[in-house]
Amino acid sequence: MLLESRVKEQGSILARLGEVCTDPLGYAREWKARTGGLVVGSFPMNFPSEMAHAAGALPLIIQEAEDPITAGHGLLFPFYCGYTRSTVDQAANGELDVLDAIMFGDHCVQLLGAADAVRMSLKNTRVIFFQLISSMCDPWTLGRAKESFEKLREELEDFLGRKVEDDALRESIRLFNRDRQAMRKLYEMRVAGQISLTATEMQYVVKSAMVMDRREHLELVEALVAGATENSPAPEKRAIRLHLSGHFCQAPKPELLDMIEGCGAVVVGDDLYHGFRYISTDVGENGDPMEALAHWYLDRNTGVPCPTRVQNDVDWDAFLLDAMRKENAEGMIVLMAKFCEPHMYYYPEVKEAFEKAGMPHLLIETEHESMALEHIRTRVESFLELVKRRRGAAPVVTSAAQGEVA
Amino acid sequence: MNAPIQAPTPPSAANKLKSTRMAGKLVNDYWEMVWRAKEEGKLVCWYEGSSINPFLEAADIVWVHGEAYSAMLAARHQEGPAQAAAEERGYLRELCSYARTHLGCAVNNQRHRNGSDSAFADVPADEDISAKLPPPDMIISAYAYCSTGQQWDEMTSRMFGKKVPIFNVSIPWIWASGKDAGYLRGQEWEETSKYVAKQLEEMVKFIEEQTGKPYPWDRLRELMRNVKRASELRLEAMDMCTAKPAPATLFDWSVSIAPINQLPCTTDIVDYFTNVRDEVAERVRTGEAAVPKEKYRLFFDGIMNWNKLGWLAEKFARYDAAVVAGRYTHMAFWQEPGLINPEDPVMGMGQNYLICPNNHSSPILIDLIMGLCEKYEVDGIVFHATRTCRAFTNPMFMIAEEATSRLGIQTTMFEGDVADESFYKDELLNTRVEAMLEAIDQKRMAVV
Repeated sequence: MLLESRVKEQGSILARLGEVCTDPLGYAREWKARTGGLVVGSFPMNFPSEMAHAAGALPLIIQEAEDPITAGHGLLFPFYCGYTRSTVDQAANGELDVLDAIMFGDHCVQLLGAADAVRMSLKNTRVIFFQLISSMCDPWTLGRAKESFEKLREELEDFLGRKVEDDALRESIRLFNRDRQAMRKLYEMRVAGQISLTATEMQYVVKSAMVMDRREHLELVEALVAGATENSPAPEKRAIRLHLSGHFCQAPKPELLDMIEGCGAVVVGDDLYHGFRYISTDVGENGDPMEALAHWYLDRNTGVPCPTRVQNDVDWDAFLLDAMRKENAEGMIVLMAKFCEPHMYYYPEVKEAFEKAGMPHLLIETEHESMALEHIRTRVESFLELVKRRRGAAPVVTSAAQGEVA
Repeated sequence: MNAPIQAPTPPSAANKLKSTRMAGKLVNDYWEMVWRAKEEGKLVCWYEGSSINPFLEAADIVWVHGEAYSAMLAARHQEGPAQAAAEERGYLRELCSYARTHLGCAVNNQRHRNGSDSAFADVPADEDISAKLPPPDMIISAYAYCSTGQQWDEMTSRMFGKKVPIFNVSIPWIWASGKDAGYLRGQEWEETSKYVAKQLEEMVKFIEEQTGKPYPWDRLRELMRNVKRASELRLEAMDMCTAKPAPATLFDWSVSIAPINQLPCTTDIVDYFTNVRDEVAERVRTGEAAVPKEKYRLFFDGIMNWNKLGWLAEKFARYDAAVVAGRYTHMAFWQEPGLINPEDPVMGMGQNYLICPNNHSSPILIDLIMGLCEKYEVDGIVFHATRTCRAFTNPMFMIAEEATSRLGIQTTMFEGDVADESFYKDELLNTRVEAMLEAIDQKRMAVV
């Protein structure tokens, strides 16, 4: 295929993924009309969608909407994160009616508040909950995680009126693994400069996986991988290589990502939930699938530590410094969703580690509404200028966690 | 030189219980004991949330309840240095102010010990009690409902270089799933109770590892006999406040939280609540009111604003409003003594941890609150929208809606915080409460 047509095809794939991301519930409605199937929504970030997929449903991770909060103001206070407020708002406005059931099991206090409000708002929707253990290195963590997933599966079966068979679950796990692997390949190619994907485009790739029929998604992502060649436009060499960190439940707004890259940076890695965090870990394909899902839950936090969990034997800051070394990133922008308590707890750890390692970082608090982009732009520009000056200085700083960081 | 002329202090409008004055002395004695712990060679455990202190006290470990320390600092208006230290380390203002204040104490403690080059280094000022807290030898996390508790404990552990052993007890939220779900009943309740009790037994093994001694179960049984009795007396006294006029208010019960929540579980707490119960009974007998001209009876939903405890007590009394009950005071702190079997205490302790006022999802929680509103015959609910305590604010709008639709009572909200005074807006409270009281008046006139 000619380069031009390949680029065109890639563009149309990304456009399709972007379309899904812009209107995830619209996709669900269309899918439902097309297939007659059930749509099972879930809260981020730890519900294994494989389970709902194996039951023949479309698993959909509920996304923060673009709309300003209206009816949701009557259910949650404004000092909650954008994700919880938006989810409750969507429920109150009837937007989530397309979902036949909602499953979740997380423990963030704001999510619990949202779950209660969603259940109250959606009186005809089954809201299934079983709390996942968030203390990750107790002797009973694995067993409890498995028990939680089993409870969720039982309730899902009760809702559907039929069993979710192990074989079907294994099949779903294999499909999801393949999709995760394809997305991780794009990450590797981006670091190696073999594909030019903006941060927004990468978000489209990952976020759409949380919404779309997985087989359909996999086909598109594999086509993206196959279409990328050495002739793909490489990122601007003079651009500052950045790592983006944070933003758990909700996706950073594309306009923010575009602004950051528009200031002369290129994002080469991230640990965003709508990014590498979501795709980092595969589920074991053999043996008891529930056991495998429980292991996945634990492995994921060891691989990409999450501030919503507590695990005394892993360090998020060390992970970040290591990831940046592998990505050859020159600085990090921390995207913190305003009012996100887990992030607020861990941020000083990251800040201290980065200061000690001499690695520059910039904290940006994001909001559901009224983000002052121009003000943020000035800060990003100043930050990138600082990083650029370091290039000339060529300092050698010892990282607390990973040895030398140039 | 003549002394400056001072304006006369207006007489207090709130007729507070006299018996609760003893709480101040007991609290001071307790913190003095905590501050002496290292000199006396005692092990120190930091914890938040659930009242696991009897487990520690029995093992002769000095216990430090993080919220209690933050609340004490806020009530004494001495939270500033701790909060400034936390902010300097990077903790943002929207973070739970209990946690922020307590973590600030840890920052200060570390800095003074390590002599860092920070502005907060060197010897703490005499009045800065944030740095007096002895560092922990162990941390136990057993926090119901709010995710913040577990992360706060983890951060404390990390602040001490992860050198302090930490033990986590996971206390799941009661979602009320299944047809048999309800308050203290149903499969979910039974399973969750067992899960928590099992972890508490493991926690006892952890304590044994720290002390190097077999766990003194007899001592725990003795302490839990006192806790059970103190709890029964407290609830008995609270129940008497259904009387009109009410003999005591939420502010008296707030002062009495420390004796039931974290003071030593000796017979002192039994004596304390015996005195409180007797005084309340006497007031009921003589018709003595906590708010002399009680005209309104209100329910207070939300955690206490510790910077403003006395201030709020006076304010509501001046409105002739008796705040007769609240979610924080009337639905927590060994709330179900009937579940405690002192001879075999673990299960009942775990179940009491599970029924912290927020740990039931809204269908159960709302029923309980509506029940209290009816029992105390309240005219309205005041919601304290506690800025940094989402555990309390989560269900507030739903409670308000049910109060209006189910009971037909008035509600209002004001913004404040547990330990950060800067979120409190006095004028907002004034206008909103006044509007609510006016609405109550109008409703009464319409009925007449």
